[in-house]
Amino acid sequence: MTSPDHSDRTEQMEIDTSAKWPVLFFFGSALLWLLLGGALQLIAALKLHLPGFLSTCEWSTYGRVAPAAQNALVYGWGMNAAFGFGLWLMARLSATTLRHGGWLFVALKFWNIGVTLGVLGILGGYSTSFELLEMPRFVTLILLASYALIGAWSVTTFSIRNTENVFASQWYLFGAAFWFPWLYALAQVMLLKAPVRGALQPVVNAWYVHGLYGLWFMPVALAAAYYFLPKILGKPIVNYYLAPLAFWWLVVTTAFAGGSRLIGAPVPVWIPTLGAVGNYMLVVPIVIIALNLFGTVSGRYRALGGSLTLRFILVSMVGFVLASVLNLALSMRGFVQIVQFTLFTELRDWLIFYACFSTAMFGAAYFILPRLTEREWRSPLLVKAHIGATVLGGLLLTAGLAYAGWHQGHLLNNSAVEFVDVTKAMLPWFAFRTAGLVLLFTGHVAFFINFVFLACPINSKNTAVAVFRDPPNMSLGPQPPVGHSLKGVGP
Amino acid sequence: MKNGLALFLGVFATLALSWAGLLLTAHRQLGSLSQFKDPVDDVLHPQPLSGLADQGRLVYQDLGCVTCHTQQVRQEGSGGDLARKWGERGSYARDYIRDTTVFIGQSRIGPDLRNVGARTYADADFFYSILYAPQSKAPGTNMPAHTFLFDVHPVAGRQPSAHALTLPSKFAPGAGLEVVPTRRAEALVAYLLGLKDTYDYPIERSRNTPAEKPKEGGH
Amino acid sequence: MSAPPDSNFRLEQACASDDSIQQVHAQLLKTKPEKTDGYSMFPLVLLGLMCTAVFFGSIYLAHYSLRFDPLVYNEHASREKPGAVKIVPLTRVQLGKKVFDLTCVTCHQASGLGQAGLYPPLVDSEWALGSEERIIRIVLHGLNGLIKVKGTEFNNVMAPLGETLKDEQIANVLSYVRGTWGNAAPEVQPETVARVRAETAGRKAFWTAPELLTIGN
Repeated sequence: MTSPDHSDRTEQMEIDTSAKWPVLFFFGSALLWLLLGGALQLIAALKLHLPGFLSTCEWSTYGRVAPAAQNALVYGWGMNAAFGFGLWLMARLSATTLRHGGWLFVALKFWNIGVTLGVLGILGGYSTSFELLEMPRFVTLILLASYALIGAWSVTTFSIRNTENVFASQWYLFGAAFWFPWLYALAQVMLLKAPVRGALQPVVNAWYVHGLYGLWFMPVALAAAYYFLPKILGKPIVNYYLAPLAFWWLVVTTAFAGGSRLIGAPVPVWIPTLGAVGNYMLVVPIVIIALNLFGTVSGRYRALGGSLTLRFILVSMVGFVLASVLNLALSMRGFVQIVQFTLFTELRDWLIFYACFSTAMFGAAYFILPRLTEREWRSPLLVKAHIGATVLGGLLLTAGLAYAGWHQGHLLNNSAVEFVDVTKAMLPWFAFRTAGLVLLFTGHVAFFINFVFLACPINSKNTAVAVFRDPPNMSLGPQPPVGHSLKGVGP
Repeated sequence: MKNGLALFLGVFATLALSWAGLLLTAHRQLGSLSQFKDPVDDVLHPQPLSGLADQGRLVYQDLGCVTCHTQQVRQEGSGGDLARKWGERGSYARDYIRDTTVFIGQSRIGPDLRNVGARTYADADFFYSILYAPQSKAPGTNMPAHTFLFDVHPVAGRQPSAHALTLPSKFAPGAGLEVVPTRRAEALVAYLLGLKDTYDYPIERSRNTPAEKPKEGGH
Repeated sequence: MSAPPDSNFRLEQACASDDSIQQVHAQLLKTKPEKTDGYSMFPLVLLGLMCTAVFFGSIYLAHYSLRFDPLVYNEHASREKPGAVKIVPLTRVQLGKKVFDLTCVTCHQASGLGQAGLYPPLVDSEWALGSEERIIRIVLHGLNGLIKVKGTEFNNVMAPLGETLKDEQIANVLSYVRGTWGNAAPEVQPETVARVRAETAGRKAFWTAPELLTIGN
C-alpha cells in the first residue's frame, strides 16, 4: 500500500475548515425542520384516526397541517440537508475550498425564512393547493433567490475544480443543482404566475413533483451512495464503466415519467402512457445502479459492523430499489386502478424521500459532521437508537402502508361497501401509521441530541476530540485487508 | 465525462426535452379547449361557476380539502368510481376549463367530490350539517368538524336567524344557542353545490366509449 | 480479517482518499473491464435488457397513446380513427332529462310524482301518457284551473313555456316524461310540436282542462 501523501491530508483539512460553518448550519437547520416537520406530521397522522384532536382551530385542521408538514419536511429538512451535503461533497471532490462562505449564510437565512413563511402561510390559509407547491406565492422569489446563491456556489466550486477527473457523485450533484431551480421556476410560472388552463394544471404539477423526487432527491442520495461506498470500503465501484450510461438513461427517462402519476386522471391518455413508458425504461439504469452499488458492498458485509455510514447507505440503497420497483408497479394500469388514491401512493413518495434520500443524508451526516467539528459523536447509545428506530420504523411503515393501501383500494373499488365502512376499516391502519411515525420521530430526537453534543459549543466541551487517520490511497490492485482499515481509533 | 460544458448541455437538454415534449405539447393540444355549445338548447357547457361559488373555491383551496378529496371520476372500466355513483360518466378535460384552480387530488381519505352537487341527498342543509358536525350525517367518519366556519350565538333577546342550522340535539351546541353559517361557509357550500358534470359532450362520449371487449380465450 | 468488526460508532474512518477515488474510477472508465478467461454473459444480458425495454416501451406507447388524441381519456377506448367512429347520438329521452332538470323539476319533482295537493304527478298519469296534442299545448301556453289527474283534483297554474323552449326541447322533454319512471308512451317528434305551435299561433290565454279534453281524441 502506498503511504498517503500528507499534503493531500492538509488540503482536505483546509476544505473541511472552509466548509465548516455553512455546512454545520445547513445540517443544523435541517435537523430543526426534521423535528418540527415530524411533529406536524404526527399531529396530522393522529387526526386521521382521532378526528376530534385539535379540530376546533382553523390553523390546525387536517387539510392545512398535512401539507404544512410535508412542505416543512421536503423544503426544510430535505433541501437543507441536501445543500449541506452537496456543498461539502462538491468541495471535497473538486479539491477546492468553499470560498466566501459568508454568502452561503445569507442564502441559508433567507431560505429558512422563506420556508418558515411558507409553512406559516399554509397554516394560515394561503395555500395554493398544488402538491408540494402549496407555499404561498410570496415566498417563491425568496426561495428561488436564496437557492440561486447556493446553486451558484455548488456549480462554481465544480468549475474551479483542481482535479482532472469528474466522479459519478459529481454528475448527479451537478445535474440536480440545475434541475431543481428549473423545475421549480417553470412550475411556479405555469401554475401561479401565468396559470395554464384546466386539466393542464395537474400535468404541470405531476411533472414537478416527479421531477423534484426523481431529479433532485434521488440524485443526491445516489451521489452519497457512489461516494461513500468506495470511501469507506476502500474498494472501487464494481462495473463502474456502466455508470455514465445509467446516469444519462436515468435522468432522461425520469424527466418524462411524471405523467405516470396521472393514470386515470382527466388528461389525454397519451400523457400517463408516456409516463408509464418512461418508468418501464427505468429498469435499465436501476439494474445498472443496483449492480454498481450492491456489487461493491457484496462480499464486504462484515464492514457494516464497524461503519454507521455504511449501514445507513445500505438502507438507502434498499430504499432506492424498493422505491424504483414501486414506481414501476404504479405504472401498470391494472395495479394502479386498485391502489390509486390510497395509502399506497403515499408509500411511493415516502420511500423516495425517506427510505432512500433521508437515510442517505443521515449516513452522510454521521461521516461529515465529526470532520467539521473535529469531535466524536458522544453517545453510541443514541446512535444505535437512531439507526434502530429508522430501520424498524421504515420496515413497519413500508409493510404496513403497502398492505393497508392494497386493502383500502379493494374496499374503495367495491361499491357494495359504504364509504364510511372503508374509513372504519382503515382506522386501525391510520393508528399503525402514527405508531410508525412516532418510532421514526424518536430516532430523529436521538440524532438531534447527539448533534447538539457534537456541534453546540457549550455542550461539546466534554465530547472527545476526533483523531482521523490519513486515508490510504485506493488502487486497482489487490484489495487491502479489511480488518486493518476498520480498526477503531481508541483514545 | 470530464467536460463540464458537455455535462451542462446534457443536463439542460434532459429537462428541456421533457418540458417541450410533455408540457408544451399538452398545452398546444388542450390550452385552447373551449366551451361546447349544445346545438339544441344553445347553452355553453361547462357553465361557469357563480360568483359566490367562485369565492367558495378559494375557501376549498385554503382549507386544503384537496388533501383528502379527489375531484376526478375515472373512466368506465377503471376502478369503481362509476359503480359508486360518483358521476354519471368519467371526467373529461373539458369539464375543468371553468376551474381557475384544478383540484383533481390524489388521495381518497374522503369520497370524490366532482359531482357532489348532483347527488340526491345534496342540498345546502346537508353540507352545512356535515361541515359543522360530520358525525351527524356520516356516523363513523374521520372528517374533522369545521366549527370555525360557523357562528354560535345565543338566541335570547334577538330574532332567531333564518339560516340557523337544524341539528339533532346530540350535536347542537345547547339550549338557547343557534348555529349560523358564516359568509365563508355559504360560499363553500355554493361551490360544492356547483360541482356537477351532468352534461355529456357528444365528441368526448363517442371517442371514449370502450371498444368491444376482445373475445375471451382467443383463437 | 484480522480484527473483529468495530462497533465503535463515535467516529467514521475513511479507507480511501478522495483523490485516489477519482483517479481509480477515471481509469476504470477508460479501460473496459479486463478480460476474464472465457466468455462473459453480462454485457449481452444487459444489451438484451436494454433492447427489451426500448422495444416493449415503444409497443406500449404506440398501443396506449391512442393517436395522441387530446380528447381520449379512456385507454380502453376504440382505437379506430376519429372519422371512423360514428358519434352515437343521445336518444330523445336522454336529451329530455336535461330540459326536465332545468325547467320542470321544481314542481313535478325528480321522481315525477309531483306534490300532493299542489302539482299533479306525471308517473302513470293519463294526461302524460295520453294524446300528445294536449300536452304539447299545455307546455306551449300553460294551464290554468281545475284538472283531474289519476282521480285527484288539482287547482293550480302552470306557466307557459313556448317562448323559452324550442320545438326540439319540448319534444325531448315530453319524450322524457313519457319514457321514464315506468311510463311507456311513444316519443314526441319536434315536427308535431312545430305543427301544433303553428296551429295555435295566435293564442295568448292559458289552456283549461275542459278545453283540452275536446282536442285530440
